[in-house]
Amino acid sequence: MIETSQGSADTLFRVTAAASSDADLIAAHAAGDPHAFSELVRRHRDRMWAVALRTLRDPEEAADALQEAFISAFRAAASFRAESQVTTWLHRIVVNACLDRMRRRQTRPTVPLPEAGPGEPVAPRDAMAERETRLVVQAALNELPEEQRAPIVLVDVEGYSVAETAQLLGIAEGTVKSRCARGRAKLAKVLGHLRNQSADANVPMSDVQVQQGRQLEER
Amino acid sequence: MTGNVRRSGPPWSVDLLADLHAGVLDPQDEAELRAAVADDPEAREILAALDATVADLRDLPPIPVPREVADRIDAALAEEFRRAGASPAPTHQPAAEHVAPVVDLAARRRKKQLGWGAGLLAAAAVAVGVVVVSTQGTPTSDPGDNVAQPTSNTPVTHRPLAVKGNDFGPVFGDVLKAQNYGPLENQDKLAGCLQGANIASAKPLGVSPITLDGKDAVMAILPGGKPGAFKIVVLDPDTCGPDNPNGVLATSQITP
Repeated sequence: MIETSQGSADTLFRVTAAASSDADLIAAHAAGDPHAFSELVRRHRDRMWAVALRTLRDPEEAADALQEAFISAFRAAASFRAESQVTTWLHRIVVNACLDRMRRRQTRPTVPLPEAGPGEPVAPRDAMAERETRLVVQAALNELPEEQRAPIVLVDVEGYSVAETAQLLGIAEGTVKSRCARGRAKLAKVLGHLRNQSADANVPMSDVQVQQGRQLEER
Repeated sequence: MTGNVRRSGPPWSVDLLADLHAGVLDPQDEAELRAAVADDPEAREILAALDATVADLRDLPPIPVPREVADRIDAALAEEFRRAGASPAPTHQPAAEHVAPVVDLAARRRKKQLGWGAGLLAAAAVAVGVVVVSTQGTPTSDPGDNVAQPTSNTPVTHRPLAVKGNDFGPVFGDVLKAQNYGPLENQDKLAGCLQGANIASAKPLGVSPITLDGKDAVMAILPGGKPGAFKIVVLDPDTCGPDNPNGVLATSQITP
C-alpha cells in the first residue's frame, strides 16, 4: 500500500509541469500531489491580488482575504466540480472573502486614505504622462462606493463578463450592469471625460487620492 | 419606460445614457433611445466619454502580489498540506481532525532530506495558519458551492521564549505569529537596528522579545527573498540602533 502511494505520488509530480491545465492540477491535488495546489496558486495569485487590493483598497486586508481564500480553496478542492471553470471557482472564493470583509468593515469607520500631496496634478489630462493617468484612474476608482467599485473592478479592469461578475458577486446581471453604469458615469466626470455636465454623477476632485494610487501601483 | 424615452431628452441625463451604454435598458427602450440620440452631438459626446472611461479602466496595469504576501500564503498552504497528511481530500471528514492513515514515503523522504529546515517551515506554517483562522470570524454569506468553512481555532499560548545557541526551531512558530516589539517598541526602532547592522529592512513577518542564552533580546523574522525562505535576526535592544553595527546578536537564514 505504501509502495502504491509512493508510485502515484511520483507520477503526480510530473502532472505539476507547466503544461498542465488548471483542472489537471486540481485533480492532482485531490490525489495527493503536494505541489499541485501551490502551482495553481502561483498561476492565479497576481490577478487575485489585484482584485482583492482594488476591491478592499487596504493591503493588509487584501493579504488576509487572499490567504483565507486560498486556504478555503485548498480544503474544498477535492470536491471541486469539473463543470465549472477552475478560474471562476477560485475567483469566486477570493471575491467572497473580499465581500465578507467589506460587509464586516461597514460597521467600522472607513480607514482614512493618505493625504494627497499639495499640487498633485489631477487635470488637465493632456499634460499627464501615461503613468500619472493610471494613478489618477486608480485613485478615482478607490473613491467609488464599494457596491459600484466591485463590479467595475471585475468587469472593466479584470475583464470578466457581466454574467461571470453576477455569479461572482451573487447579484443579478441587471444589477451588475446598472451599478457599472452608475460607477462609470461618476468616473467619466472625475477623469475629465465629461465636461459641463450637471448630472448628479459628481465626485469631488479634492477627494481623489493620487497618493494612494501611487502606493498601489508601486506594489 | 417605453414611450418615455423620447420625452427624456435632450438634454440627456448622463445616468440614462450610462444605462444605455451598459445595456441596462430593455430592448425596445434601447432601440428608441439609440435612434433618438443618433444625431445628437451632446449625447454622442457623453457615450464617447463613457467609452473612454472604460478604456482607462481596462488599461490599469496588473498589480503583482508582494513577495511577503506570497510567502505567507505559501507557508499557510504548506501547513494545510502537512495537516492533511499525504491526502488533501478532507471533505469526507472534518478537516481539523483529519489524519492521513498512510504516511507517504516520498513525503517522508523529503522531510528527512530537509530535516530541521522542514520542521521549521512547518512550525512557521502552523503560526501563519493560526493567524488566518483567528481572523476569519463568522462568514456572513455563502462563500460558494465548494468552499470549506474554517474548522478550527488553536489558542495562542504565552510562555517565555528562550533560545540557546542557534537553535531557533523551538521558538520560531511563536515568534512568527507575534507582533510584539518589546523593548524596541515599534517597527521604526527595529528598522534602525537593522540599518545599523546593514541588514535590508522589511516589515517583520513576526517579532517578539526572547532570551538568547539567558540574555534579553528581540527576535525578528524577515522575508527570506523567496517562497518558504526566512531570515532570523536577533537584536540587543539595549545597544542596537542605526549607528551601531554590533547590535545584532545572531542571524540565521532559513531556506525551504
